[in-house]
Amino acid sequence: MSSIKISNLRKTYGQFAAVDGFSLEIPAGSVFGLLGPNGAGKTTVFKCMLGLARTTSGVVLFDGKPLVPETFERIAYVPERSVLYEWMTVAEHVEMNRRAFKAFDPARALELLAQFNVEPAKRSRALSKGMRTAVMVALAFARNAPILVLDEPTSGLDPINQRHVLSLIINEAARGNSVLFSSHQIGQVERAAEHIAVMDRGRLVLEGLVDDLKSDRKIVEGIFPNVTYTLNGIANDPRVLRADRTERIVRLLVRDDADNVATMLSNAGATGVRVVDLNLEDIFLFAVSPADATADVIAKGSS
Amino acid sequence: MPAVMTVDPRSGVPIYLQIVEQVKRSVALGILQIGEQLPTVKQLALDLTVNPNTVARAYRELEHADVIETSPGRGSFIRDNGSVQSAKSAASDVARDALDIALREAKSVGLARNDVRELIDTGLDRWFPEEQ
Repeated sequence: MSSIKISNLRKTYGQFAAVDGFSLEIPAGSVFGLLGPNGAGKTTVFKCMLGLARTTSGVVLFDGKPLVPETFERIAYVPERSVLYEWMTVAEHVEMNRRAFKAFDPARALELLAQFNVEPAKRSRALSKGMRTAVMVALAFARNAPILVLDEPTSGLDPINQRHVLSLIINEAARGNSVLFSSHQIGQVERAAEHIAVMDRGRLVLEGLVDDLKSDRKIVEGIFPNVTYTLNGIANDPRVLRADRTERIVRLLVRDDADNVATMLSNAGATGVRVVDLNLEDIFLFAVSPADATADVIAKGSS
Repeated sequence: MPAVMTVDPRSGVPIYLQIVEQVKRSVALGILQIGEQLPTVKQLALDLTVNPNTVARAYRELEHADVIETSPGRGSFIRDNGSVQSAKSAASDVARDALDIALREAKSVGLARNDVRELIDTGLDRWFPEEQ
């Protein structure tokens, strides 16, 4: 069981901060999904964690200790872009990994390659994008590493092989290993990860257990009879995380006690008030998009 | 049992609750019998392709609700104390939740109490005619 602690990580390229004070604790034996729009800084976080990019400031600890060369024996990494030698065959990559890592299991690698329908005799240059991902995944999961860092491990894979990767992740979790992975396929993160973190513009904007985020957060929606209305301060209620409105429709993102906020909205004159469950995609989109009405604007009513 | 269990990860209902509801429902419907063994956490996690800790959380919840009992090393089983009672209460749990959703919806579209009562009476006539 291995834990990872990232504290106040910063990585700047000139004036641009790709990662801007990012902290995250990944408990031992958990599957952690890292979500974020393109360019949010996910890959940079991975690279800084693994010493593949020089951090501007901040600390990353594995089991309380900074990264040293020996740590690599315990971390399997699937980079965003596959790094395969074009002239080598898949089987030669297996052999290269066997020599590089003590715990690497070549028989397991070949078994996984067969499950992904990758022919070991093929040269890298003959592999499709999806096949390249499959090779990287097979090599990583044959490492017997207690920590897996997977940067979009399903990109380019067909739905069958995507599901296969999810099963591999779940299998690692059942063995008590830690997995940190990023994906744009939110449905996959929803299945495999128990924890998620959402990054936006280099910062952590949301973190929690997927099931708790779903339980805690609801949308309370109501329609007002005309465009002039006041919310009687509901938008400023601490349970209301954000307020959006489109003409007469008000949508409130509420944490805890949504039924109570719904009653308040009804009392303010809204009709058709309903409480809507949120899936992870909704939660993600709210986390990375600004509210389109401030509490003040709504509280004043429409002009 | 996995054959009757599915989860929809895209739903707004937490996955662990979906598992809890389905086990309760299966007990209520007699699909899961008293003393029947549930799959291990790992097996169910792999069958459903969901995180094992999520399954473990569902099992803890079911244990807490006295639906299953877990003995270390042996596995998790449908509880046999007050079996009929627990099946019956599981059945009313399932029905109550469904009714609650319907009533909430009725309220949200602005129906009055009497309108709802009328709807319920119509529904009762349709589904429970012999009890009239």
